Amino acid sequence: MATLSIKGVRKSYGSLEVLSNIDLELEDGGFLVLLGPSGCGKSTLLSIIAGLEPSSGGDVVIGGRTVNDVHPKDRNIAMVFQSYALYPTMSVQRNIGFGLEMRKVETAARESAVAGAAELLQISHLLERKPGQLSGGQRQRVAMGRAIVRQPDLFLFDEPLSNLDAKLRVEMRTEIKRLHDRLGTSVVYVTHDQVEAMTLGTKVAVMKGGVIQQLADPQTIYERPANMFVAGFIGSPTMNFLEGTLVQDGGGLVLKHAAGALVLTGIEQDVRSHIGRPVVAGIRPETMSAAGGASTLQGSVDVVEPTGPDTMVIVNVGGQMITARLGSRDRPKLGAEMTLAVDTAAVNLFDPESGNRIGGDV
Amino acid sequence: MSRSLNMPGSRPPRTIWEAISPFRLIGELSETRYWMYLLLLPSALLITAVVLYPTVYGMQMSFREMRLNRPDLGNDWVLFKHYVRMINDPIFWVSLRNTAVWVTSSIVLEFLIGLIAALALNRDLPGTKLLAVLILLPYFLPNVVAGHMWALMLDPRMGVINDLLLKVGLLTEYKAWFADPTTAMAAAIIVEAWHSFPFFTLLIMAGLKGIPTDLYKAANIDGAGAFAQLRLITLPMLKTIIAAAVILRVIGLVNSPDLLLILTSGGPGRSTQVLSLYAFQMAYKDFNFGYAGALSVVMFVFLMLFAWAYVRLSKVNQE
Ligand SMILES: Nc1ncnc2c1ncn2[C@@H]1O[C@H](COP(=O)(O)OP(=O)(O)OP(=O)(O)O)[C@@H](O)[C@H]1O
Ligand SMILES: [Mg+2]
Repeated sequence: MATLSIKGVRKSYGSLEVLSNIDLELEDGGFLVLLGPSGCGKSTLLSIIAGLEPSSGGDVVIGGRTVNDVHPKDRNIAMVFQSYALYPTMSVQRNIGFGLEMRKVETAARESAVAGAAELLQISHLLERKPGQLSGGQRQRVAMGRAIVRQPDLFLFDEPLSNLDAKLRVEMRTEIKRLHDRLGTSVVYVTHDQVEAMTLGTKVAVMKGGVIQQLADPQTIYERPANMFVAGFIGSPTMNFLEGTLVQDGGGLVLKHAAGALVLTGIEQDVRSHIGRPVVAGIRPETMSAAGGASTLQGSVDVVEPTGPDTMVIVNVGGQMITARLGSRDRPKLGAEMTLAVDTAAVNLFDPESGNRIGGDV
Repeated sequence: MSRSLNMPGSRPPRTIWEAISPFRLIGELSETRYWMYLLLLPSALLITAVVLYPTVYGMQMSFREMRLNRPDLGNDWVLFKHYVRMINDPIFWVSLRNTAVWVTSSIVLEFLIGLIAALALNRDLPGTKLLAVLILLPYFLPNVVAGHMWALMLDPRMGVINDLLLKVGLLTEYKAWFADPTTAMAAAIIVEAWHSFPFFTLLIMAGLKGIPTDLYKAANIDGAGAFAQLRLITLPMLKTIIAAAVILRVIGLVNSPDLLLILTSGGPGRSTQVLSLYAFQMAYKDFNFGYAGALSVVMFVFLMLFAWAYVRLSKVNQE
């Protein structure tokens, strides 16, 4: 078990800058998720942590030891690849024990370690097989087995679940969480799936274009996103962005938008600097309800999508489409006028020019 | 045909013309299981004409008397006469031994050089693309050209090799490489390896491209060094390709006498006489096609046995 800190790490391929000045801290036993769209540099950062790619600058510190010039095998890390990277010509048994074999661990000790890992992952009956004779989920488990058997300081996972079908992915996600709770080893986990990030991470780093947009615990990321990119990337359906002007009305704040005004009560942000200026209000679909109230939005119903537990309703509010997640019994008629009550304490206000949350992180 | 008429979707013909219409008949035939054989027929005929017939003809030749310079002997069946002669023919046994030495040493040398070259060229360094083309050049040369070129370079009086070795100090006097039984075989093997190693390079490079780089990343983290990675990942993953390349090269080496014919003609003495060369000389110098045919059949059988045993032993089929 170990802490991980990344200080000012950069990476360029020729003139193309893939990572710029990355700073990260992970506490001992923490679970850090690197989340971001395809091509944002997640895998590259993971490879730099593993030592498989040289960085163009900055330091990687694992357990207090700067490992910039340390060979991957001496960093005491284990990695699970998106492709699993199982050795096709070796049995599952040998695949899992390969790291120990290369470290000259005696056969008896190695076999018992492999047996232990296999048992933990419920793959004991597969040990004699070759990877080609396994299903995707089983390969995934073998790859995990190969990682845990060495009892490393740090696990690195590169989109380990992305090749699995939806059901298996949910199962394995739970399994990874259980494994982490049980082993307590620090983890860096790359994904572009925000649900994985929210459920697994003790800390989430949202990346875009080689830059960390926000590094915080999942709840903070969800409730107080640092900018509109993070706000839009996390959550499904995505956060609504309602454009308007912030005005002071007596003691309270009001967002004047194209189809009326939204009374903002309970806003935690310090937004004084933006009074009288255009702002964007970020409203999560589930913070709205079909009831009336002090803070409401009115519009005509455009689309109704029942999903089973909820009904997604898209309402045209003065030309801006607002998605609300309503209860399964709320089935408004298409084209009907509708009033949505907004829990404005959960609203985030963004500066439309920079896209940043007004008043910075709270 | 009656079966096909019962198939769903087919209806009985309405008129006599429709009943004998070729399109209709072909259409019905294509629904039966004989269609497959019909489609295979053209290629089967072609293979019979160009592969099977000559092979069988060569084989029956080995059971006949067939000496073009002795028409008086006729060309009757002689059963196993040629095979009995072979068992008592010391030149056959020398040729067999030489063939084993020639083929084994050449294959080992070609494979090693080919592997090293492929591994070197597989790195993504500047210039490797050009080098990859250059390194294939020897293989583009016909055996005859390569043979004459090396014969010239190894010439005892005006060859450049002697000159170079003398200048470097490895030799004290000019050496007649193909006059000494020990160096003749070695020199011929080196020429052969030079000529054919690109075959291995080419196939191994193609194989290397198919190995996912993630495997090497995983191996690096697992602590496998370069040699362990080669032994435990690269070579096992190239097994099928290497097996195919070895079989193809062995067949080529056993069957083609051309390089040795040009370099040594089997000499000095019988020191570089191999089976293919012996069969060739038997046919085109002694005009004894019967015995030459028998020698070829023996080579054929050896090659079949080798290919079968090799595939079994290398377990290529098991994955
Ligand atoms: N060897 C390379 N040479 C040049 N550019 C590269 C190289 N490897 C990666 N890149 C570029 O670096 C960027 C980041 O790549 P990276 O693989 O880290 O993305 P990622 O966030 O893991 O994406 P994904 O979610 O699709 O796996 C991409 O724009 C990619 O094109
Ligand atoms: Mg990636």
